[in-house]
Amino acid sequence: MPGPLLSVEAADFGYAGRAVVHRASLAVRPQEFAIIVGSNGSGKTTLLRGMLGFLAPLSGRVARRPGLRIGYVPQRETLDPLYPLSGFDVALLGAWRDLPFWRFSGARERARARDALAACRATGFADKRYAELSGGQRQRVLLARALATQPELLLLDEPTAGVDPEAERGILDLLRELCRERGLAIWMVTHHVHAIGGRSDRIVSVSDGRVACEAA
Amino acid sequence: MSDFFAADFLFRNAILGGLGVALLCSVVGVYLVLRRLVLIGVALPQAGAAGIAAVFWLTGHGQGEGHGTHLLALAGSLAATGIALALLVASQRRARAPAEWGIGALFAITSAATILFIAVNPTGDFEMSSLLRGELLAITASDLRVLGAALLAAGLLFFLFRRELLLSSFDPEFARTVDRNPLRYDALLYALIGGSIALGVMEAGPLVVFGFLVLPALAALHLAPGLAAAFAISAAIGAASFLGGFALAYRADLPAGPVSVAVAAGFWLAAAALARLRLRRRAAALLALLVALASLPGCALWDGSRTNALGPLPRGALPEPGPGWSIAVLPFDNQTGEALRVPPANFLNDLPRLAGDPFAGGGPTVPELLAQRAAVELARRGFEVVPVERVRSLVSRAPADPASASRAAASANLDGPVLLGTLRRFTVSSTGILLIRLDLALVDPKTKQVLWTGAARRPVPIQAAQTWQEILLDAGAPIFAEAFGNQ
Repeated sequence: MPGPLLSVEAADFGYAGRAVVHRASLAVRPQEFAIIVGSNGSGKTTLLRGMLGFLAPLSGRVARRPGLRIGYVPQRETLDPLYPLSGFDVALLGAWRDLPFWRFSGARERARARDALAACRATGFADKRYAELSGGQRQRVLLARALATQPELLLLDEPTAGVDPEAERGILDLLRELCRERGLAIWMVTHHVHAIGGRSDRIVSVSDGRVACEAA
Repeated sequence: MSDFFAADFLFRNAILGGLGVALLCSVVGVYLVLRRLVLIGVALPQAGAAGIAAVFWLTGHGQGEGHGTHLLALAGSLAATGIALALLVASQRRARAPAEWGIGALFAITSAATILFIAVNPTGDFEMSSLLRGELLAITASDLRVLGAALLAAGLLFFLFRRELLLSSFDPEFARTVDRNPLRYDALLYALIGGSIALGVMEAGPLVVFGFLVLPALAALHLAPGLAAAFAISAAIGAASFLGGFALAYRADLPAGPVSVAVAAGFWLAAAALARLRLRRRAAALLALLVALASLPGCALWDGSRTNALGPLPRGALPEPGPGWSIAVLPFDNQTGEALRVPPANFLNDLPRLAGDPFAGGGPTVPELLAQRAAVELARRGFEVVPVERVRSLVSRAPADPASASRAAASANLDGPVLLGTLRRFTVSSTGILLIRLDLALVDPKTKQVLWTGAARRPVPIQAAQTWQEILLDAGAPIFAEAFGNQ
């Protein structure tokens, strides 16, 4: 069995020196679909931010496999609609990952963005302005942006929040499909455990900053 | 409009300098608007002004002491802008309070500090207010080089790091996951914003800087189909607003800065109206560009003859031009006993002199600017005039009498009549009156005969003028109207 892509060992994560997540231990395995669940303020997003490296552990450690490529899908409300970017422009941001500043963005990057949009079934609205897309459409574009980075691990922060049930089912089916067909490990924070159904391999529950992992 | 860029046009440097500031600000302004930092565009120029005022107070600077304090003033502007920017960025990262609280407090504090520094400085208010307002009309060739270099550097950095700046601005967390450190590129963006503001305030004043930081970008974002187009449209609107505004101001004898900002505001309103018309965005953007470009010759062709400050005038007491006459205005002799050197708009010009080169000049002198204006006024009266720059390259010393003027003209191969000028008094009273004594003579160098003499001796009210350049601009027309016998 291959080793974990990422492991968290007895780590505390928090802000301004105060721990929100206490002594978290978990391992992210390849091609695994896991969900992080918990009530509001329980520490789900803090745990995700710690896994992403946005928060340095206050104690313990986070180990990533060398060269691990992580794709990140933030909550879509965090992005400013003022920017005059189309869905394609947003997906292209992910394709710039390996592009040094002195090189032009060319056909290869554009093809990678188009492929990612197609994989997320977002081609039909890719030319529209990002700010004018519906919640579900924006989520697909952000997913395409993460895919365009050619990740091995996808970390998503509440990708189905504020999305209607039909769009939610579509996004979850798409994630399961990406996990199965592209061999991606996917971890996502969600409130909607009931909507996951049998799609996840593992459920990580966070309660008052305490993390518990269990098989789905 | 092409006349505006001619080498001997009096305001050529002002136009090119203003154009540079307009382009720099309108490009930087797109990110200022997108990142919702518009209020920073108000507060930072005020911080720069407070820095200048503080330096003037600390050095006890007064009118006429001029050049030595300019380097310190630029340092003050840059330092105050940098410190203010750093404080704002730090407070935004740490505090939970809205960003505009800190920006509002900064604006109030720096505005009060500027006024207090002026109040406690008994001698420096005149020249300080001139620096705080910017000295667009006095931009020299080396100012233009500094501005050009800044524009080039900013453009290059924007182009090279365009992806990194977008990633860090649009989604800094995502930027981190694709190995771009948003702190580093935020620092680059803030350095570009701060540097542009500090330099722009020194050259054009806070009003022009703030106007061009905000209005072209707002107009462009109404129309642009993408980010690259937003930069291009903003730059086009910035350039068109400044050139169109300058043309209007020139024709109607109005201050160039506020008119340019008003034109930019017109573009913004037009862009907002176009966006509401639900035209296809690309078509709307194209239309805006066309309007912007069409406004340039439109402004130049506009007939402002009734209010034209520099339009044609009757010949007055000047003699009838002979066949093939081309008058050369020789350098004016300064008999006032004072240097009358106008402070350079950018005190980087003063570096060689401060570094110990006693022959390195600062800005132009009042006699030089009066000679330039004399050439313009002669042209307004229908005379052919040899370009002042050419005369200056041929005749370096001011002749004191008709005989030496004839010799200087002969050695410079100037065949036509030469205008000889002697400035004997140039004093600004505390009540805003210019006391002047300027003697002029038109000499035929072939015969050494004096063809005409005239003088300006009447006091000229200049209450509205705040800078040396504005004094010369406002007083130029009445001085030469009296000397040439139009009054």
